[in-house]
Amino acid sequence: MRCAFRKALAAAVLAFTATASHAADWIQPPAWEADVDTRLVSSDGQRSFVNGGLGTLRFDATESGLRLGRARFALSQALGEIWSLRLDASAWGDHDRNPVDLTEAYLQFRPYPFAGYRFRLKAGAFYAPISLENRAAGWESPYTLSYSAINTWLGEELRTIGVEGQADWLGTHTGHGFDLELTGGVFGWNDPAGVVIANRGFNFSDRQTTLFGRVGASNSGPLQPLELFHEIDSGPGYYAGVEGRYFDRIVIRALHYDNRADPEAFDRGIHMSAWETHFNSVGLRVEGANGWTAIVQWLAGQSYVEPDDEDMRWPFRARFALLSRQIGNHRLSIRYDSFAVDGESDDGDGAQHGHAWTAAYVFEPNTHRPDVKCKVTLEWLRVTSDSPYRVIELGTPAVATETQVQLAVRFALGPLAR
Amino acid sequence: MFQSRYIVSAVLLFGGLLQATGAFAATLTVAVQTSDGRPLTGAVVTVRVLSGANHPAAPVNAVMDQVNRAFVPDVLVIPAGSTVEFPNSDSVNHQIYSFSPARKFQLPLYRGKRYPPVRFDQVGFVTLGCNIHDSMLAYVLVTDAPYFGRTDPTGAWSVEVPSGSYRVTVWHPRMRESTELEREVTIGDAERTAVTVRLTKPLQPAPLEGPHSWDAY
Repeated sequence: MRCAFRKALAAAVLAFTATASHAADWIQPPAWEADVDTRLVSSDGQRSFVNGGLGTLRFDATESGLRLGRARFALSQALGEIWSLRLDASAWGDHDRNPVDLTEAYLQFRPYPFAGYRFRLKAGAFYAPISLENRAAGWESPYTLSYSAINTWLGEELRTIGVEGQADWLGTHTGHGFDLELTGGVFGWNDPAGVVIANRGFNFSDRQTTLFGRVGASNSGPLQPLELFHEIDSGPGYYAGVEGRYFDRIVIRALHYDNRADPEAFDRGIHMSAWETHFNSVGLRVEGANGWTAIVQWLAGQSYVEPDDEDMRWPFRARFALLSRQIGNHRLSIRYDSFAVDGESDDGDGAQHGHAWTAAYVFEPNTHRPDVKCKVTLEWLRVTSDSPYRVIELGTPAVATETQVQLAVRFALGPLAR
Repeated sequence: MFQSRYIVSAVLLFGGLLQATGAFAATLTVAVQTSDGRPLTGAVVTVRVLSGANHPAAPVNAVMDQVNRAFVPDVLVIPAGSTVEFPNSDSVNHQIYSFSPARKFQLPLYRGKRYPPVRFDQVGFVTLGCNIHDSMLAYVLVTDAPYFGRTDPTGAWSVEVPSGSYRVTVWHPRMRESTELEREVTIGDAERTAVTVRLTKPLQPAPLEGPHSWDAY
C-alpha cells in the first residue's frame, strides 16, 4: 500500500513537473524594443498637416530646431509556438489627442509549413502588405526618414482593423527559385480613408496615424481634426494581393483595396462622411549582391463622397523610384516621387499635382551589443506642389516649393532592436 | 578470451597501418569549379566505395547554431545516425522546421533555452527553415559515404583513400543541376589522383547579407 502510494506520488510529481515545464515553454517572457529618435530640423515648409495646414512636410517653418522624431515601444509575446501577440506604441511629440498611442496591435496565428505550404492569419490592427519601402520594425523605412508620397498616405489614412489571411508557397524551401504568397483581408473602421487625400493631397512624412489618435490641430487651421479609424456605414471593406519573390533578390507586390464605404453615409458624432476609396498598387524591389537596391511603386485609385446626392470624386495616383546603395555601415539613397489628385468636384477643391526629391545618408555604427542599435540619418527633402486649395483657403499662391533638412539620431534598445 | 581480443586489436591496428603507410593509399583531390571555371567554395563532396564494401562513417554529434537570424553553418554533412544540436545564440526566438522526407521535424528555439539534439537516421537532403524568419535557409546532407567534406576557398577537398574504385559526388546548395554531379574514379598506384568537377549551369544568386534582417513587413 505504502509502495503504491509512493509510486502514485512519484507519478503525480513527474506529471506536474512535465506540465510545469510545458507551461514554462508555452509562456515565454515577452520580447521588446524601445527606440528614441530625435531630430534636428530645418524647414521652410508651410503650415503642416498636423498643425491643420496644407503643407506637404511633417515639420513646418515654425518647427525648425530640436524635435522628437518618434519614441516607440514594441512588444512581441509568444503564446505557445504558433500564436503571438504584437503591440506597437509610439509618441510623436505633437499635439495628438493621446501623447502615446498604438500604431499596430494584433494577434498572429502562424503554424509551421506543411509540405512547402503555409497559412497565416492576423487579427487586430495592422498594415496591409503594400509598401516595399517600409520594411523595418515600426513600419519604418531603412532608406529615408520621410516615406514616399504613397507610403506616407498609407501610414496616415490606412490600417487594417480586421482579419487578414495569407497563403504561402515556399518554393525556395523545396528546391525552386521563388516563393509565392496570396493575401486577403477583410476590415472595418476605415471608412474615412480618402478624406486626407481629398482635403490636402499627398504629403511626405513618417508620422503614422495612431489607432485612437486624431490627425490635425483643433485650432484655426483650414483643416479640421480628423478621426480616421471609424466605422460609419456598418459594412466591411476588403483587399486582395499577391506577392512573388525570386530568392531574396526580387520582390513584386500587387494589391487591390476597396473600403467599400457607402458614400452617402455620415457620422454625426465625429462629423465625418464615409469615403468610398479604392485603389490598385504595384511595387517592385530589386536587390543586388553589391549593395544596390532599387524600388519602384505605383498606386492609383479614387475617393468619392455623395453628400446630398452631390457626386464628388477625387481620382489620385502616385509613383516613386528609389535607388539606394549600402557600403559597409553607410547607406546612400535617392528617391523621386510624382503625385497627383484630380479634384473633380464642382469647385475644383482638393486638386494637387507635384513632385519631390529626397536624398538621405544613413550611418549605423557598430555597437558591439546585439540589443543596442544606433542610427544616424541626414535627409534632404524638397517638394514642389500645385494646389488650388491654397488660393481658396489661404489666399497664397497655388504653387509652393518646400524644403526640409533633418538630422536624426536614433537609439534602439532591447532583444527586438535591429 | 584475452588472446582473441589481442588478435582482433592487432588485425585492426595492422589494417590501420596499411592505410596509413601509403603503400595502398593515395591522396584523392576533388576540385570543384563553377560553370565559368572559377573555384567553388563550400561544395559538398562525398566519396563512396565501389570496389568492395562501402562502410559508412561513424555517426557524429554536430551543431548548427542560430546567429544574427541565420543558420551557422548553412550546410552540414553528417553520417546517417548522427545527431545535430540547434542552439539559439540570437536574442530573438526561432522556430526551425523541416518538411523534407528524409527527416521531418519542428523545434521551437526560444532564446536562452537548450533543446535535445535531433537525430538524422535516413540518408538524404534535409532543408531547414525558420517559421518566424523566412529568409533563414540551411541544409543537412545525411550521407552513407565513408569519406566526405566541403571544398576550401581554392575549390578543392582532399582525402586519403586506399586503392580501389570510388564514386565521387558533388553538391552545392546554389547549384541549378537537379541532381548531384557524379564521377567514377579508380585509385591505382599513383600517390595522388585529382578529379575536377565543373558545374554545367550558373549558380543561383547567393543570399544577401544584411537587408532582410530588417524585414518585419
